[in-house]
Amino acid sequence: MIKAIYLAFILLGSAAVSYAQQKFTISGTIRSQRTGETLIGATIRSGDAGTFSNDYGFFSLTLEKGKYNIEASAIGMQAQNIPVTLDKNITLSIALKDEQKTLDNITIIASSKSRSLSSPQMGIERLTAKEIKNIPALLGERDVLKTVQLLPGIKSAGDGNSGFYVRGGAADQNLILLDEATVYNASHLLGFFSTFNSDAIKDITVYKGGMPAQYGGRLSSVLDIKMNDGNNQDYSVSGGIGLISAKLNVEGPIQKDKSSFLVTGRRTYADLFLKLAKDSSLRDNVLNFYDLNAKLNYSIGSKDRIFLSGYFGKDKLAAGETFGLDWGNATGTFRWNHIFSNKLFSNTSAIFSNYDYNINIRSGANQFDIFSQIRDWNLKQEFQWYLNNRNNIRFGFNTIYHIIRPGEVRPSTDKSSINEALLQKRYSWENAIYATNTWKATDKLHITYGLRLTLFSILGKGDFYTITPDGEVSDTLSYKKGQFVKTYVNPEPRLAASYQLNTVSSVKASYVRNVQNLHLISNSTTSSPTDKWVASTNIIKPEISDLFAVGYYRNFSDNKYELTIETYYKTMQHQIDYRDGANIYINSDAIETQLLFGKGRAYGIEWQFKKKTGKLTGWLSYTLSKTEKKINGISNNNWYNARQDRTHDIALVLSYQLNKKWTLSANWVFYTGNAVTFPAGKYKVDDQVVFYYTERNGYRMPDYHRLDIGATWLLKQKKRFSSELNFSLYNAYGRENAYTITFRESKDDPEKTEAVQLALFKFIPSISYNFKF
Amino acid sequence: MKFSAIYFFLVIICLTSCEKVIDLPLDVAPKKYMIEGTITDAKGGCRVLISQTKNFDEDNSFKGISGAEVSIKDENNNSITLPEVSPGIYTDSSITGIPGKTYSLHVNINGTGFDASSKMPVKVIMDSLYISDDNIFGQVRKTPNINYTDPEGRGNNYRFVLYVNGIKRNNIYIVNDDYSDGNISSIKLFLFGEDDDKKIKSGDKIGVDMLCISPEVYKYWYSLNAGATGNNNAASPANPVSNISGGALGYFSAQTVQTKLIEVP
Repeated sequence: MIKAIYLAFILLGSAAVSYAQQKFTISGTIRSQRTGETLIGATIRSGDAGTFSNDYGFFSLTLEKGKYNIEASAIGMQAQNIPVTLDKNITLSIALKDEQKTLDNITIIASSKSRSLSSPQMGIERLTAKEIKNIPALLGERDVLKTVQLLPGIKSAGDGNSGFYVRGGAADQNLILLDEATVYNASHLLGFFSTFNSDAIKDITVYKGGMPAQYGGRLSSVLDIKMNDGNNQDYSVSGGIGLISAKLNVEGPIQKDKSSFLVTGRRTYADLFLKLAKDSSLRDNVLNFYDLNAKLNYSIGSKDRIFLSGYFGKDKLAAGETFGLDWGNATGTFRWNHIFSNKLFSNTSAIFSNYDYNINIRSGANQFDIFSQIRDWNLKQEFQWYLNNRNNIRFGFNTIYHIIRPGEVRPSTDKSSINEALLQKRYSWENAIYATNTWKATDKLHITYGLRLTLFSILGKGDFYTITPDGEVSDTLSYKKGQFVKTYVNPEPRLAASYQLNTVSSVKASYVRNVQNLHLISNSTTSSPTDKWVASTNIIKPEISDLFAVGYYRNFSDNKYELTIETYYKTMQHQIDYRDGANIYINSDAIETQLLFGKGRAYGIEWQFKKKTGKLTGWLSYTLSKTEKKINGISNNNWYNARQDRTHDIALVLSYQLNKKWTLSANWVFYTGNAVTFPAGKYKVDDQVVFYYTERNGYRMPDYHRLDIGATWLLKQKKRFSSELNFSLYNAYGRENAYTITFRESKDDPEKTEAVQLALFKFIPSISYNFKF
Repeated sequence: MKFSAIYFFLVIICLTSCEKVIDLPLDVAPKKYMIEGTITDAKGGCRVLISQTKNFDEDNSFKGISGAEVSIKDENNNSITLPEVSPGIYTDSSITGIPGKTYSLHVNINGTGFDASSKMPVKVIMDSLYISDDNIFGQVRKTPNINYTDPEGRGNNYRFVLYVNGIKRNNIYIVNDDYSDGNISSIKLFLFGEDDDKKIKSGDKIGVDMLCISPEVYKYWYSLNAGATGNNNAASPANPVSNISGGALGYFSAQTVQTKLIEVP
């Protein structure tokens, strides 16, 4: 590993340019003055030279000797000008004030002032908690994942669903990170809410392409979510009461300026809906979830800072005594930032991640529990080396030990008719090293080039199989504890370039390869807590995607408006599907007997027009795309539309600051229905009508469209106390969007069959109250 | 192990959902033959039905295919031709099968041949049939229960057919001993989401057929239930996995049968 890092140094160092004139470095940390929270992605610039703060608020800018006026700015903050005389290396600790809102002079910057025209990074979207705040939400639950779905190229998995598809990828091909820990099931309540409590979140970055080399492990996207660190200036309590949940957030300094804590909790009372249901006997049922986010951070001197953050969430669902299901994620991250020098920043993370579910059945003689789990132990090391003005290098490694317990059935009494059945635990070790350099080749041409090398080792103890084309096990190979079954080595090149055409526009191009070694086996249309994660085996090969993209970016009217156009072509190898009649809950370790493999391709073009400042802010996005699959054994081995294939996808998101008290908002979405399989005929089996199918995904669900409106009423805004009321109306014009279409014998005339459409949400009003002191 | 239906049910209860019949233009596909063949350990159980797929908007009546050549063969190559007793229904009331023996079906429709074979499994009998009051999502429902003792050794597959007052219910009840090998087993024949007038009440006459089926036939019913009944939320509906070669829909099952009757107290 060390050798590889040296090698990376030499490779990247060769791009360095020689020092002609005396240069000095300005480095430091940028924060919010009020809360002490570090600011991510803040701009620190002087004239044309500039940089962005990293994930921990650190920045480093090297300039020639001289006098400068440094401008520091960030979303929602007042910009600050700092005059500096640069005749030695200097350290700046910048604290920005919150933006002031006055009645006659409203300047709202809804998103970072200019998408970096010069950065080669493509396919990136950044949101802050502030931006999410005003978007109307289902049942008033602000939701990170549903906001992300309004961005071009990102599609909702269904009405009210928090699952999403990025550029033709499946829902499991998104890497979802919370303070660097993988979240394996990012949804609550069967997909209707995400596990992320927006009150605890500082920053959300979505990469739908061109992932930097520090990210890997999923084919389609990276959703990198950072939690707040906690106010290190003052104690603060905030909270909210909505229709389905209540939230409370407590944060404050442990030692002012040095350390702070944050605890955020959320609990739903969806059960109450059941209690209010017409049928009074429904009250034995349970349906709820809660989450808890907690974080501590401590600065040790000026060079070191440690963070400890954790997330714990749980859903519970029960039908009286007979059926119970609970599931949840737990993550923990310990991080150590160390500033080696004004040019070298290091972060070390030790991460734990766990997802499990538990089912209890108590029905007659069928008394048993089912348990399944996926658990990761993960170590990451990253260096950011601000070599000089032209080269910005990142390198590091990542090692993860995965333990998967695919399914364990245990009888709960001696008399149970169910036997104990424990599927083999699966062990794997995933390693990656990477290095990447952003090279400012000329003032106009910037290039990022890097490589990520992934080594995925499947470890014993366990049995592995060979399988006939018909899906029968033909041979079993047993491996001992710790024995290497197979190691997949995959280089993942990452390339991106930007060329600035003039001061307001640029073009970019990128190529990225991603490899995925953990696969989600799910055969339902909605996300289910019992979907199965499996690691690559001798038969299940690592999924590989290659994404090519080009884009055009233009700012108008002094950065007031922004236009982004990106087009992409993606190929995917070793995609997984099911054999006809597959049962993924079989009592067998050879899950591969139920699977088929093939490939996928996706292409499309995405437009986004954004208004970023002023009373009215928002965006209009449009995606035209195609996603197809070709699986051996499905649709006569021909290409067919993937379920998530939607031709058109439009989102309009608007927010209008009416006056100091009122903010109005609206969003409207339209998309072509998913590709689905409908019957081509019918016949009778044992006197029952069943349906005959001829082609996979040959039909479309009806087009989907919906308008949501919302309003925020600021009741009070004092220094010590502020409160607001949020109103929203989901599906304001009551469109009956098809959630499912099913087929059955007609209730009126059993001699006929009929198609039945189910629509879930129609006019869902909500109100919530939020406060802060 | 099929919980998705349960979630779905719960979600529907708690959200403001809305169901309506829609008009959906569906393509018309070329017709396909449907063969449903059984041989049982009881007299009169040897029956082969031959029909064809219909368009979605046609009526549901069974339209038999006449004039086919249908024969059943045992392990000793004794072949019997089944006469057509009414259009599309071919049967011989004298044939009985023996558990443990393999039977083959051959059908010839206008020169196109279809073949299948099935091994009749060991007969396992119902020890009892009784009614219990079960709380299903808050509602007390009368539910038929079956007890039987699964023999040692994995690979036993069962199907139950429920009759209420002599009318067969369209619920597919299948179970295998994957997780319950060798145990005294108890199966509840739940009726989810039925209309009030279809619920089981005191005084109803309940009949249950217990069929011991072969693994291929289990797979047929499993995949039919998962993908072809039209009312599931499976990702990809598909035709069930048939054990008939030659490109017909349907199945051929050599199965044992036992029937119990009870009046609901």
